[in-house]
Amino acid sequence: MSTLKFRIRMFIKYKGLIRELVSRDLKLKYRRSFLGYLWSILNPLLVMIVMTVVFSAMFSRNIENYPVYLLIGRMTFDFMTTSTNQAMNSVTGNAALLKKTYIPKYIFTVAKVTSALVDYAFSLGALIIVMIFTRTPFHLSMLLIPILMIQLYIFCLGVGFLLAELNVYFRDIQYIYKAITTAWMYLTPIFYPIDILPAGLRLMIENGNAMYYYIMQFRIIVLEGVLPSAKLFVGGWVFALAMFAIGLSVFQKHKDNFILYI
Amino acid sequence: MGKNIIDVDHVSVRFNLANQKVNNLKEYAIKAARHELMFQEFMALKDVSLHVKPGEAWALIGTNGAGKSTLLKVISGILKPYLGTVKVRGKIAPMIELGAGFDMQLTARENIFLNGAVLGHSRQYMEEHFDEIVRFAEIGDFLDSPIMNFSSGMKARLGFAVATMADPDILICDEVLSVGDANFRRKCNNRMEEMLSGGTTLLYVSHNMDSVRELCDHALWLEHGEVIMSGDAESVCSAYERRGAERYRIERRERREKAAAMSLQPSGSYDYLVVGAGLFGSTFAFDASNSGKSCLVIDKREHVGGTCYTKNINGINVHQYGPHIYHTKNKNTWMFLVQFTQFYAYIHSPLASYRGNLYNLPFNMNTFAQLWGESSPEKVRKIIEEQTAAEHITSPRNLEEQALAMYGRDIYERLIKGYSEKMWGHPCRELPADLISDMAFGYTYRNEYFQERYFGIPVGGYTQIFDNMLEGADVQLGTSYKDLMRENRYKFGRIIYTGPIDEYFDYCYGPLEYRTVRLETEKLPTDNYQGVSVIHYTDADVPYTRRIEHKHFEYGQENITIVSKEYEEAWTPDSSLIPAIPVVTEKNIALYQKYRQLAQRETNVIFCGRLGTFRRIGMGQTIEEARRLSKSDPLHRHY
Repeated sequence: MSTLKFRIRMFIKYKGLIRELVSRDLKLKYRRSFLGYLWSILNPLLVMIVMTVVFSAMFSRNIENYPVYLLIGRMTFDFMTTSTNQAMNSVTGNAALLKKTYIPKYIFTVAKVTSALVDYAFSLGALIIVMIFTRTPFHLSMLLIPILMIQLYIFCLGVGFLLAELNVYFRDIQYIYKAITTAWMYLTPIFYPIDILPAGLRLMIENGNAMYYYIMQFRIIVLEGVLPSAKLFVGGWVFALAMFAIGLSVFQKHKDNFILYI
Repeated sequence: MGKNIIDVDHVSVRFNLANQKVNNLKEYAIKAARHELMFQEFMALKDVSLHVKPGEAWALIGTNGAGKSTLLKVISGILKPYLGTVKVRGKIAPMIELGAGFDMQLTARENIFLNGAVLGHSRQYMEEHFDEIVRFAEIGDFLDSPIMNFSSGMKARLGFAVATMADPDILICDEVLSVGDANFRRKCNNRMEEMLSGGTTLLYVSHNMDSVRELCDHALWLEHGEVIMSGDAESVCSAYERRGAERYRIERRERREKAAAMSLQPSGSYDYLVVGAGLFGSTFAFDASNSGKSCLVIDKREHVGGTCYTKNINGINVHQYGPHIYHTKNKNTWMFLVQFTQFYAYIHSPLASYRGNLYNLPFNMNTFAQLWGESSPEKVRKIIEEQTAAEHITSPRNLEEQALAMYGRDIYERLIKGYSEKMWGHPCRELPADLISDMAFGYTYRNEYFQERYFGIPVGGYTQIFDNMLEGADVQLGTSYKDLMRENRYKFGRIIYTGPIDEYFDYCYGPLEYRTVRLETEKLPTDNYQGVSVIHYTDADVPYTRRIEHKHFEYGQENITIVSKEYEEAWTPDSSLIPAIPVVTEKNIALYQKYRQLAQRETNVIFCGRLGTFRRIGMGQTIEEARRLSKSDPLHRHY
């Protein structure tokens, strides 16, 4: 099919732009700050310390190695929120450019999610530091982390496309999404153990919350040193691919009209 | 026929106005409830076609909102057409507006790569061209500073450099070059011309017709999303400019009418009464009404334009009072008339006919070769020197002696004598010597009757110019000054009188002498009667002085022709013809001075123009004097 071939050719042509945009985001993020990229590691570390101090009294009895538990949940969820929030503004924020020259619009969305992914990868440094400090053993299963990140990346791309498209037509989505992510965060076992929840709610989260799948997989391969259960692994992929399919198809369906609204 | 690089076929673009305004849920809900959604449609382009061959430079012109940018967006693929098809075969580089393609916080170096990527170039490609870009943009020392610290000129240079270094097949340039200093603009123009000669196709949007003419060979004129005109740049630009000037005049007139309606001035009163709708009066009225003064322009005759009046007969503009070729040394004067219409660069090269032989005019080497068969300027000079010396005239007392002293007997008898006598109605011995002095003369083969720098014939005749000039004034034709004053219906701040000064005072000292021009005009069933616009008949026994074939002024292609025989006659106050040329002799000047003294007592009337001041002045000088008078604001001079 020639449109598919055309799309692939365009993607290859503009993959350099994705790289440039990602490197711009990273450069600008810490430009003029004293510690620079180090903040990508320091920031989750500091937040983790604060939260551990606050919550350890509440939950550490039930959870083994609470700092690592918390850090994994926190940085994974953070990646999802930053990447999707950035993606939401990727089309509207580049209106001036999109109005002047032909660039496949998804490039900007992909670039934003990718920038966040790179940051996420940096924060793995923080995880390693915490693991060393808490004397957590390193397991071979940790080699699965990249696969997990790819799952989550694809999921976030899907959400990002959907949000970017919605934001073009309804700027209200930004505020709505803020409320959604807050609720989502509390409904995800980031700083609490899942078993403190009532059974009904727990069932809902275990089956319907995609973030639960990714965070749990991550914790299992790091803390328990075993492969995640088939349900978590397959479920993670299903969520990722379904979200990606939905997001991309909605985005592609309306992309030609974006120019009229941005 | 080569393959087109851009094919735009019957493209329409539709915008949904309602949708554009709704971008939050509340509005959406309200609009949906009121069924206002999707109702307002706006066609930004309607059935536009454009075919561009490789290497062509096309300008898109039109007023703001005409659809130029929309068309560019459709071509670059940013917008999809609602109807029709667009095919582009090549790489497009848009010249991106300042700031849009750049990140202000990044350094110039980083921005070059970013902008290159935006245009779809690989990093390696940009690295190869990096030095070239930096050199063109002249930002060497600032490569590693964030461009938010750059001046707008520096940013423009950088943007231009990145866009053009990439050797695109199609360069799109949307008013980005208006920034930057003259030096940079020249550099950009050079670069674009270089690219054009290298085969790059250019799409250029600008409001500056000069730069369009300079860069582009084709132009497309859009208005309200529709193609008004498409073709070679020159004709589209000039049509566009004409339309712009027309619009401007209409707007101005409306504004003035509104102002007049609101002002406290009692109706029936004007700042100026301009007597005579000829060149002086019309020029004055144009300037005066532009500076907000109200003018009433009257003319005895039933048409405007005075002796410049041309009448369109079968597509040929017939000069009703003899040929008028506009020529002037003064650029401003030239530009003044040119603002109303286009001019043909018509070089006046009339012939003289004497006893069946034709001679070139003005007197030049062609003429002399025809007279004596001599082709060398050296020898001709000698002949003329011998002939003039033979006359032994030291201080010429009349036209005959003057001509003999200047040109010798051959030229005088064959080319001057008969013509001058018919022209002035007196033997040359009785005519003043200075009547001859303004004839060009030279030892070159140049048949240019007028040697001024600016010259031409208006495309479409003179009358339209006058219509345009008088647009802002009230005009009453077929109205004589005396009748108007007798009616006493209006009040005037001041009267600009361009009619004959002696007539104003009822010839109380007797009439001044004028020559008048009578044309016997006939239509002939041939496409070319004499092959030249004007032939002077210099023998005394041909009763007319000149024969005019009007179509040659405008390179007419009609299959008929209109030819006029021009008779010069003395004018008398009871003549039905008009006084055309003041006979400036000592006797008449003395008489004029007496009228002049009367005129000075008329504090409210200013006498001006050829007849008001009894002088032979050309079109250029008439315009200059009229403009000078309007600038000095005669209304206030006496207060």
